Amino acid sequence: MDDFMNTEISDRDLILQWLNTASLSQDSAEKLELLHKLQEFLTRKVPNLLPEFLDNVLNFTTDLSADVKKALVGFIEEACKVNESLLTKVMVNLHMLLCVESIPVQKRVIQATITIYRKMLSWLCKAPIITQEMEQAWNQLNMIKVEIANMIDSDNDGVRTSSVKFLECVVLLQTYPEQLENRSPNDFSLEDVPLTLKIARRRKLEEEANKIFDLLIKFNGSQHISSANLFACIGALTNIAKHRPEFMGKVVLAIELLHSNLPPTLSTTQVNSIRKKLKSELSSLIKHHAAFEYIENISAMLIDLGFTQQEVQKLIPKADERRRYTK
Amino acid sequence: MAVNNKNPTSDLRIAVICSSNMNRSMEAHAFLAKKGFSVKSYGTGDKVKIPGCAADKPNVYDFGVSYDEIYHDLLAKDKTLYTQNGLLHTLDRNRRIKSHPEKFQECSEKFDILITCEERVYDQVLEFMENKTPSDNSIVHVINIDIQDNLEEATIGAFLISDMCVMLAKSEDLDNDIDEVLHDFEERCDRPILHSIVFN
Repeated sequence: MDDFMNTEISDRDLILQWLNTASLSQDSAEKLELLHKLQEFLTRKVPNLLPEFLDNVLNFTTDLSADVKKALVGFIEEACKVNESLLTKVMVNLHMLLCVESIPVQKRVIQATITIYRKMLSWLCKAPIITQEMEQAWNQLNMIKVEIANMIDSDNDGVRTSSVKFLECVVLLQTYPEQLENRSPNDFSLEDVPLTLKIARRRKLEEEANKIFDLLIKFNGSQHISSANLFACIGALTNIAKHRPEFMGKVVLAIELLHSNLPPTLSTTQVNSIRKKLKSELSSLIKHHAAFEYIENISAMLIDLGFTQQEVQKLIPKADERRRYTK
Repeated sequence: MAVNNKNPTSDLRIAVICSSNMNRSMEAHAFLAKKGFSVKSYGTGDKVKIPGCAADKPNVYDFGVSYDEIYHDLLAKDKTLYTQNGLLHTLDRNRRIKSHPEKFQECSEKFDILITCEERVYDQVLEFMENKTPSDNSIVHVINIDIQDNLEEATIGAFLISDMCVMLAKSEDLDNDIDEVLHDFEERCDRPILHSIVFN
């Protein structure tokens, strides 16, 4: 017992020492190193001390260095993975960090919010009681979500790419899965949201997901979309179609529109890369049971992209398999 | 050891990937490491395949086998042949960089840039990255430059990859500038490239 107490005291002292050194240091490289040490220590070695020291670490939100802020976002993400009750404590800081001018910090916040949003929603769904703090955190996170959704129109390409990835995840979380035995085990969906959960009603979440999906479709069809963003968007839409078959028709239509009318701003190489991406995504979609109605459309595109009739035929599932899934 | 990552030229985390992590990716690995880049190299094939005594008799090893073991195996098999075709020299170079060929699909490290040396490898890298569950959702650029799998082309390829990495490293915001940088690079190198985005 004595040994245990001693260890705990020294852990605490060590943390305080790192925190003090980091807060007084003028050298951002040193601060970064200490933040990484703190993260490793508090999330892995002594997670029981995490709630006690979280506020001290969150003080770095106002640090001048963008690298320190980025590291802090990483800390917040890991802390919430280890202890979901901390979600209620970090949201204001996360929001502040999203609003800073630095593009790398903004991107890091969007990327971390993908994990945090999923964690928060599933935590609310499992919680026996929703406290006021949880409701406040959820409201704050919803504000963050709206801001990230608006960032799909950012001037910065990387911010737009990250925004697309976040929105893909929100659509997947807030829509219904297919009613088949082959659902992926880790898939969180609207079905996991209890009907009794007042602060996140299924119907509202679904409405929002539909709006966000429409936003992604619109973005995919915009005439001046960059090649990098187009990759992210095609990937997001086809992933949604594979996991949420209700969207298959709209996704196939969006790809048809894109395929027949690629943005004029793309260079030859970019067009080649996009056509290759379309080939790979379409040859995967054509095998999906939800795409059976659209086999003709997908086949036509694949042939145009360089597949032979025989190659396409090989990809199409056999008729009896298709019948199994036809309603 | 020629590798010096203590003061990297840029903070980009780069991986160069070919089929066997023997020739093209290792030539580029050596070159980029000398220039101070933070670089790793991998292969995507099922096995490490290198030329043997005849075109239909390649030497095949598992990814866990070290360059040193392969070196000694070839030395014992036919010292003259493998000295003449440069394989012993290549293996000697490789073992000074790292211990053994590494399979990309078995690595859990995160990179900002994945550079592949042929389209089949590019496809395998994309397939692997797209099928794994993202962890921090950071953006990864996958870029393919076709390089034939022989010693001479590997050297030229390493120069091209190095030129490209220098251009990529100059950008302060690569996710925003990548289209432009790759467009400029392609004009300069006069080879078709492929580019895609995946997430860590």
